[in-house]
Amino acid sequence: MNQHSRVVVTGIGVVTSIGIGVEPFWRNVLAGQSGIGPVESFDTGRYAVHVGGEVKSFAPGEFVRTLPVDSIARASQLAIAAARLALADAGLGPDGLDPAAAGVVFGTTSGEPVMIEHFNDLELSGARERLGSEFIDQYPCHVLAAHVASELGFRGPNLVIPTACAAGNYAIAHALDTLRFDEAEVMLAGGSDAFSRITYTGFARLGAIAPERVQPFDKNRKGMIPGEGAGVLVLEPLTRAQARGARIYAEVAGYGLTCDAHHMTAPQGDGAARAMQIAMADAGVAPHEVGYISAHGTGTAVNDKIETAAVKQAFGEVAYRVPVSSIKSMLGHTMGAASAIEAAACALAVRDDRLPPTINFETPDPDCDLDYVPNAARSQTVHVAMNNAYAFGGNNASVIFRKFQS
Amino acid sequence: VTVQGRSVVVTGAGLICGLGDRAAAVHEALCGGATALAPSTIVAADIAQGHHVAEIRDFNPRAYLGARNVAPLDRTGRLAAAGVELALADSGWTLESRKQRPVGIALGTMFCSVKTISEFDRRAQSAGPEYASPMDFSNTVLNAAAGQVAIWHQLRGVNTTVAAGAISGLHALGYAADLIRRGRADVIVAGGAEEVCFESFHGFRRAGLLAAPDHGAPGCAVPFHAKRSGIALGEAAAFVVLEAEEIASARGARTIGRVDGFATGYDPRQEVARADGPNVLTEVIRRALRAAGADGSDLGAVVSSASGSPGLDAREAAGIKCGLGAAAPVTAVKSMLGDTLGASGALQAIVALESLRTGRLPGITGLDDPDPRIDLPLVPPGARPIDAPRVLVTAVAREGNACALVIARS
Repeated sequence: MNQHSRVVVTGIGVVTSIGIGVEPFWRNVLAGQSGIGPVESFDTGRYAVHVGGEVKSFAPGEFVRTLPVDSIARASQLAIAAARLALADAGLGPDGLDPAAAGVVFGTTSGEPVMIEHFNDLELSGARERLGSEFIDQYPCHVLAAHVASELGFRGPNLVIPTACAAGNYAIAHALDTLRFDEAEVMLAGGSDAFSRITYTGFARLGAIAPERVQPFDKNRKGMIPGEGAGVLVLEPLTRAQARGARIYAEVAGYGLTCDAHHMTAPQGDGAARAMQIAMADAGVAPHEVGYISAHGTGTAVNDKIETAAVKQAFGEVAYRVPVSSIKSMLGHTMGAASAIEAAACALAVRDDRLPPTINFETPDPDCDLDYVPNAARSQTVHVAMNNAYAFGGNNASVIFRKFQS
Repeated sequence: VTVQGRSVVVTGAGLICGLGDRAAAVHEALCGGATALAPSTIVAADIAQGHHVAEIRDFNPRAYLGARNVAPLDRTGRLAAAGVELALADSGWTLESRKQRPVGIALGTMFCSVKTISEFDRRAQSAGPEYASPMDFSNTVLNAAAGQVAIWHQLRGVNTTVAAGAISGLHALGYAADLIRRGRADVIVAGGAEEVCFESFHGFRRAGLLAAPDHGAPGCAVPFHAKRSGIALGEAAAFVVLEAEEIASARGARTIGRVDGFATGYDPRQEVARADGPNVLTEVIRRALRAAGADGSDLGAVVSSASGSPGLDAREAAGIKCGLGAAAPVTAVKSMLGDTLGASGALQAIVALESLRTGRLPGITGLDDPDPRIDLPLVPPGARPIDAPRVLVTAVAREGNACALVIARS
């Protein structure tokens, strides 16, 4: 195996506010269904905003079988659910893989925030000494991948890359290299984040949360809305996938990672454009071959404007002919899970030649003048899809998916 | 087995830890049997309850970072920025040269910005969400330190925070070396940062993982000691500059070592593994040696991650024994530097580099009564000479993560 060997997506698992499992998720994405609703996991009485993208119908006990379900916190439960769904979707049972050659890499923004919230609740109520081992057992963010591997018995490479809201793409990029260089035969690559009062408080204090809905690229967009969820891709070398007759969604063709080194929270644009260019060069595709861009598209005034400019910088005049959409218009911003879930949408778009819409798009913005696939899904051939994700810390990550042709 | 890809060299190292901020001096102190473990000045006495920690006393970020405003960085961010400054200065990658060629960062950490996260949340919960600080919020993301370091030092390449528990720092080196070897990047600052704070300390104490308070039980926090009972926490920032050998040669850089091989794995059933049999570390060591094109015969030492944890030390010893035999002396640094968690593997790597450079391997301070069940050539307190071209660095975490890195002298 070497850097020329090809890696493909053979399974998808998603746990989202608009569907658990690839089939309902994709149906609802194409239908433009919103998963935004009143926040239920904590009291928003003291906040100016009250909506979020929580996954309200999730029953962790349906998925967590090996580990005691209450021995792990919510982001791990979401991660395990997405991992099990992805493996089932890939047709990989315990007999279908070598545990020593199966690895797990996850991205996340907050890890298990509920555990530090628990720590603080004890501290603030004068019950400091009631803390047990649960904080060390369940809080540090690397437990996401560790719990998935413990649940599944996987002994291969195991890592969490907590690069905030670009983390899912970082995880997929790492899995791609891990497979290309023969360090594993199967990689679960994804992202997971649980709804968190800490994240919600922070974005509320930045004035970044929209009051009702997310309107990426719309002139009257009012911000992002925090969400939660998990997405996992099963990645395998093409030769292995073909040998076992696996269904192939798409090929993972390349990636690019950069840092703005400019500001912790404000994007700068040049780094995003560089990431897109590096990814295209890595995949060996030209701008005109890209048939769909899954935007970071948070719905904040700054992000959508800067991102539009970055796409133009990377694509030149071609930018006006490439459809760009944001499924955050439906899910809100699922943080470290976002780019993993959006990667699933890219793989599905490439397989089906269907483009997810940007919903809630009403008024064009002169600063955002690309084709955002407004409000309705579109049927259009997609040979190559680019998944863009940006993050606090100035992180930029672009991953490219290509229609599989043997 | 042929080694794949480009050769990866080390061109700089920087560390700040309980025994100082110069690699050569810290190594010398380790060889002299020094320890930084002492009563805490960070954790309040009623919380510390007599447990010793290895702190960076009187840390002054301005000594490393100059007069620029460090207020946007929390303590972990400042430690990381200072450690990276030392590594970059040692390597000759000036600000001007970093503008010409993107330099990346791979930062290992276990608790990331837990102190900032916790204080942000406690303020919101006690005073109300409208009193939480937006500036602090940008430091609540788990990659805050890497992001702040990138801004501070203008690092525009890959920016990866590596989280694998207590093996994070060593994993970050392997992650970065692999990216360079595969042509994904030319230059990456790689290492780890971890601070001592109330949140992590209290968590470890309540989990029963800390050694007995030091004044009561000699040997309790000493790696591989017969009376070891747990870990003692420490804090550190430790970074190396890794780059493609062709890049280093072209700019006439001094090289201080080479990263020859790396492997990582996970043990999903660590709690039921036989204490003396092969485990995930065994497999990982074999794969790292294979990646390095080595068979273990030219290893001068193993710098292990042993910490005083009864179970973990036994597991690491068994992994080394089954993966390597007893061919090379095995040492550990955590009775001197504390368990610096996400930084510890990078610290071990720098100790390995210094040992190769000086030909002196530090022993395990306090190891006056080795555990008879540990069947390895452990290095007693003091120092011993080594004369071999490579050192193996190992790391294991209680969750089951394990990795190994082969470092060579230049």
